[in-house]
Amino acid sequence: MNEDTGAFPCAVKIQMAEPHISNNPPLVCWSCHERSLGTHFCSSCGKLVQLAPNIDYFAMLEMPRKLWVEADALERKFLQLSWKLHPDKYASATEQERELSLRHSSELNDAYRTLRDPIARVEYLLSLEGMRKEGETKQQAPAELLEEVFELNESLDELREARAAGGDLAGLKARLQDAEKSFQGKLGAVDAALQSGAREWDAALDAPGGAPDVRKKLLERMNELLNRRAYLRNLTLNVAKELAA
Amino acid sequence: MGRIVGIDLGTTNSLVAYVDAATGRPKCIPGPYGSALCPSVVSLDADGGVIVGEPARRRLLTQPERTIYSVKRLMGRGPADVRDELKLFPFRIDAASQNVIRVRLGDKVFTPPEISAFILRELRNWAEAHFGETVDRAVITVPAYFNDAQRQATKDAGRIAGLEVLRLVNEPTAAALAYGLHEQQRGKVAVYDLGGGTFDISVLKLISTTEGDIYQVLSTNGDTHLGGDDIDNELIAREWTKRGRAALAGVLGDAERSQAVRAAVIQAKHALSVAQEAMVQVAGMGAESSVRITRAELEEIARPVVERTMKPVRQALADAQLKPEEIEEVVLVGGTTRTPLVRETVEKYFGRKPHIELNPDEVVALGAALQADILSNGTQNMLLLDVAPLSLGIETYGGAVAKIIPRNSTIPASAQELYTTGVDNQTGIEIHVVQGERELARDCRSLARFTLGVPPAPAGLPRIEVKFLIDANGILQVAAKDVRTGEERSIEVQPSYGLDDAEVERMLEESIEYAEQDFAERQLVEARTEAESILTATAKALATEAAARISGEERAAIGASVAALKESAAGTDYKLVRVRIDELNQATTHLAEVMMNSAISSALEGRNLAEV
Repeated sequence: MNEDTGAFPCAVKIQMAEPHISNNPPLVCWSCHERSLGTHFCSSCGKLVQLAPNIDYFAMLEMPRKLWVEADALERKFLQLSWKLHPDKYASATEQERELSLRHSSELNDAYRTLRDPIARVEYLLSLEGMRKEGETKQQAPAELLEEVFELNESLDELREARAAGGDLAGLKARLQDAEKSFQGKLGAVDAALQSGAREWDAALDAPGGAPDVRKKLLERMNELLNRRAYLRNLTLNVAKELAA
Repeated sequence: MGRIVGIDLGTTNSLVAYVDAATGRPKCIPGPYGSALCPSVVSLDADGGVIVGEPARRRLLTQPERTIYSVKRLMGRGPADVRDELKLFPFRIDAASQNVIRVRLGDKVFTPPEISAFILRELRNWAEAHFGETVDRAVITVPAYFNDAQRQATKDAGRIAGLEVLRLVNEPTAAALAYGLHEQQRGKVAVYDLGGGTFDISVLKLISTTEGDIYQVLSTNGDTHLGGDDIDNELIAREWTKRGRAALAGVLGDAERSQAVRAAVIQAKHALSVAQEAMVQVAGMGAESSVRITRAELEEIARPVVERTMKPVRQALADAQLKPEEIEEVVLVGGTTRTPLVRETVEKYFGRKPHIELNPDEVVALGAALQADILSNGTQNMLLLDVAPLSLGIETYGGAVAKIIPRNSTIPASAQELYTTGVDNQTGIEIHVVQGERELARDCRSLARFTLGVPPAPAGLPRIEVKFLIDANGILQVAAKDVRTGEERSIEVQPSYGLDDAEVERMLEESIEYAEQDFAERQLVEARTEAESILTATAKALATEAAARISGEERAAIGASVAALKESAAGTDYKLVRVRIDELNQATTHLAEVMMNSAISSALEGRNLAEV
């Protein structure tokens, strides 16, 4: 049964293209009416502030837009901020503060969920920098892999046919396992390349002037790497599924 | 403001607890029968009075049509969801049920949240009697794997009972809170919670920081329709087979007969947690008809149920990216974990002895009390970080689901989506929110549908930003904004399964009528009724031939007890009436035995007079 029988045509979802560019007016604290500089708390009265409308996840966790992140340090930061922002800490506060705490802590949790995963972190940075549309992946095989992918697909077909016909599977399976290993190796190489890209990105940020040209090239390179990674991952998952069947 | 309590609203039993200000420790509050367990049973008497707990449980045998148990299984569900349930449970669903089930009790009809509210009100009465103060706020626990509709239904029940529900807390998380405090435990902990009707597994990390202890849930999984009830149903089926339908049919009417069998198998099941064999003895049938059951036989029946818990266990560990041996402590919660087979299975899987120091029936309520204390500014050195058990998604073109908040996301959690129109001058965008892990919307749980209003414009021009937020209770909130104008758009979210605000308000008003009967007064009425029946039974017994065989001394003692009970029943202290009832029971135990030996059968030995 298709439940999409509403009175209106199906919702069209827009990929967030440049949602994170904000030019906010200087923030004024809702409580003390002073100008406030803090991300979470008013620098003058200490109350929770209104979150900047398009605050990014790096800012939520009070960290620079760098890619090399120590997992333990990130977790410590997350727990420390959770302690201060969680709704439990505002259960008897005013309704406005309760609302604010809900907003801050949900954004904090979203930020930590994204940034603790190295791949999601790169994806997120690329979307922040306007390089990548959320959820967008190219399903096209990278050119230099075409031949290998073709062979792999052939082996997969043969395996399915042999399974249907009750033929000998052992040889085919061994071949697929080899192919899977080869693709896993490539996946490892992509991850390594992403890692070095991440270090270069951080170095460029620290360079005098922020090396904008270098960073632009790096963003492009990492975007390609992510596409390649998504493609390879899909491939290995398919093979693993077929082998387990 | 009144007091705040923690409530475990269970399938089989419910409890209420609070944190003792002097010790900082949580404590369960006993009810009028001395036990902290309030059977989650509600009965409606002929003149419309509501009976909850132990007396209602007894009425399962005498007034099954007016009595309901395990109502938690119906919370937040539609009539189509419970079709399978109806084969096993004597729920009488009203034909007029639409998106909310309506259950028939005698000649009245109630929704599951209203029935749960009767239980909550009873517990509230227990707490108010204990404190001598009003109780108006509560933390209520729910199975971690409860979906949005089931959570909303629980919150509605709280409101109908006149309680402000400060928070819904996941049961295994509450248990971990109680355990952590008790054991001063740190590290990775798995909580295995097998209750009467639900199963949950949660993996937590207990962390000490300079500010205090953080209980961070890493993952959770479960089955909201798996529990001890399933074992009971198999045991009941076994009785029907062993005895033959005909043998049981002769005993009592239909509903009564099945409740008698149910009570008997549950008693045997409990006995087998300690003993190697037990007898299933159905009330109203002679002892010679008892059926023997061994622990091995019970385990054969229980094994599939226990096996079914292991898939969620493996999934929760995989989601937390942990191996069984990396779990440092395992905690067992829920009455069904008393079953030796459950303990063995869990111990084998994790390679370590599970914790059973705290009473598995009470630990969830104790944790709820702790969370209540945290929220009312008592305990300040603990923080709970829980997760959403199921992924939240939006139906997209072709009925597929786009996941916007993945399962095991720490809550509160949010996601923002930007929508536009597909045709010129389209005035609305329809959004269907679902919960679950499946790829297609129709295989997931429908949470809500709503329409975003859009000002007429060429296709693709409007920009509506929708913010989905799962709050700390695990309940969804939706807000929308027109990006171009910055205007907030109100959304009428029509829950797929649930009550709207007006219905909840109306139910709250109605429930107050039921609650008007003062608690103590009702207790007194119940105690007097019971006194009445034992006095009648005693008088009848003393007039029998068998009674001639007891000593004059004994006769005098019974006479004294009778007089004392009559005197107490004339007063207004229901507790005293209960004491006198017990005394008269004691005084007549021997008489009852003499009567049985002589007249009926030796099988009824050890019973008191009222039961003969």
